Amino acid sequence: MSDVAKSSGGAAPGYALRTGLGPQALAGLALVAMPVGLLVTLTLWPTVRMVGATFSVDGHFSAERYFAFFNDAYTMANLRYTLEMGFVSAIAALSVSFGIALYLRFSAGRIATMIHGLSLFPLFVPSIIISYALVRFLGPNGLFQLMLEQVGFTQYRTPYLTPVGPFLAFVWENLPLPVLVLSAGLSQVSDHAVEAARDLGAKSPRILWEILLPQMRRSLLIAFALIFMGIIGAFTVPYMLGPPAPEMMSVFMQRTLGNLQDPASAQVQAVVLMVISSIVGGFYIATMVKSSAGAR
Amino acid sequence: MFSRRQFLAASAAAATLVSTRVSAEDMKTLQVFIDGDTNISDWWNNILKPAFEAANPGRTFNVTVTRGVADGNGTIAERALAALQAKADPQVDYFEEFEPASVAGSIEAGLWLETSEANVPNLKMINPAAVETPIRLPYRGSQVLIAYDSAKVANPPKTFADLVAWAKANPGRFTYGRPDKGGSGSNFVIRAIHEGNGKDPSLFTKDNFEPAKAEEMLQKGWAILKDLHPFTFGEGTYPAGNSPALQLLAQGAVDMIPAWSDMALQAINNGTLPETVKVVQLQDLALCGGFAYSAIPSNATDLEGALALANFMLSPETQTSCVRDIGGFPGISWDYLPADLKAEYIDVIPVSIPTFPSGDWQKAKNDGWYKNVATNIVRD
Repeated sequence: MSDVAKSSGGAAPGYALRTGLGPQALAGLALVAMPVGLLVTLTLWPTVRMVGATFSVDGHFSAERYFAFFNDAYTMANLRYTLEMGFVSAIAALSVSFGIALYLRFSAGRIATMIHGLSLFPLFVPSIIISYALVRFLGPNGLFQLMLEQVGFTQYRTPYLTPVGPFLAFVWENLPLPVLVLSAGLSQVSDHAVEAARDLGAKSPRILWEILLPQMRRSLLIAFALIFMGIIGAFTVPYMLGPPAPEMMSVFMQRTLGNLQDPASAQVQAVVLMVISSIVGGFYIATMVKSSAGAR
Repeated sequence: MFSRRQFLAASAAAATLVSTRVSAEDMKTLQVFIDGDTNISDWWNNILKPAFEAANPGRTFNVTVTRGVADGNGTIAERALAALQAKADPQVDYFEEFEPASVAGSIEAGLWLETSEANVPNLKMINPAAVETPIRLPYRGSQVLIAYDSAKVANPPKTFADLVAWAKANPGRFTYGRPDKGGSGSNFVIRAIHEGNGKDPSLFTKDNFEPAKAEEMLQKGWAILKDLHPFTFGEGTYPAGNSPALQLLAQGAVDMIPAWSDMALQAINNGTLPETVKVVQLQDLALCGGFAYSAIPSNATDLEGALALANFMLSPETQTSCVRDIGGFPGISWDYLPADLKAEYIDVIPVSIPTFPSGDWQKAKNDGWYKNVATNIVRD
């Protein structure tokens, strides 16, 4: 401890206190005790119990329920659909928001401010409102179809109640977060680097590919992980806009629990989805840790 | 100075004031609990209350809405049961809708008052199809009907076979809601299952569920629905509930759907559905429906008042209001309602009100539909 104190120079007294158990350290621990306590009692403990329960069949340890899950074609179709929807929607939302962030990075003025505001707008709209709005706008004989018919296009097929419906809602709903994350990332790319490349004759695509994207990788990964986890757990949008089958896991889980009154199967579905989320979440944490280590 | 006329008017007004105050003090107030939807509580407060006060001078009722609060009327019934055991005031005289069996032990403890023609004279008019046990007082019903746009459908179907034939002749113009998301779709699916099993609802009872046999019986329904599947709206994109199905009809995206009688009739009355929308009941075998049952706690402080209210609810006037104002079905036989009302609703008056057991049959029906009918999607 004294070695540490010596080597870290000016910060020594505070550091020493923190590693020992002085009054300040106790106060700090007391402050974090509340949220950690809540997390443990309300989230971690029930989760551990639930995972345990899924492996218990008639009081014995058994992975029987998981075999049933992975052997049921209908369930697997739902899982595949959920992951595809998460992946495709997240990539699309990311592409659109990257475009917006790029535009905002290199332009200023009232139009840019307006676009910035508009891209953040979905943040303040609940999914149920988004869903209803899309039903009215994109639905059969909705505003969009009427507008198309005005210009003579009559072959419109509504995306409502097909996989395209929730896809569009997810992309729109998930614009604000990546716009914020990517704008922050882009603001760290120096103007000099871009101008230097331009002076050397690099065209925009090359600047994007060789200057911007390499520096943005981390922001993109973080944004992807956040959107993907949000989408695979979303309920309202697929419930209201999606097809009857395949179902997204959240809708399927709710039906299994509420309508079929089969909590055991619903728990297994929840655990599988949680494991997938944890993998993506772990990936997100690793990226964060790496980036803060890199910043030091 | 007051003129003589002014004086007379003033003293008359004062006298009225005094007399109303006196009657307000004597007024007996019944405590009514409702956990149904807004349309029901609004109907009680705005239409039934003044009518009841007019028909029963000196009596009124106070509506407490328990919708969405704890277990709704169940919580109030628990309290009444506790009051019965403690010989205390249950603070409730009337449950607008309640199933006594849902509070364990309440029936055995004698919490519920038995009604008959002796204490509720209007029960002599009750629709026999609605009668269950003496502690359950049926007073209104709703049933799933076929709603269609009369501007597009010249000859509405009279039988299930007619309906399927119409849907096939008009691809994409018929749809029904997912069976687990609302009763309208659910009861249409049940009707298809009945159709596949000789139109005999009595084959399905609470106690006869047996997986292998059920699977075989349900498959006959799935065959009919799979056959219909490619002809439904969006080739099998069933809307997620009663309202989304009505919305498709309102937007002109489809011309025919199964719908709850009260929801459809109310939507037509308030303009949510176009005027051209009409409703019809299948005459070979009706779609399922059910009644709402009131319950009276036997320890109510004003039993006499509660019975007067029960009798008022079953009067032809209130029953007419049930049809006119909330699009419900009467609890009493149509024969006791005005002839013009009967004539107006002749197309929706069922010859029978079939039911389908809850529990295992419902689960097998809903899950089976997803696995057999909904997944059969062919997309381009």
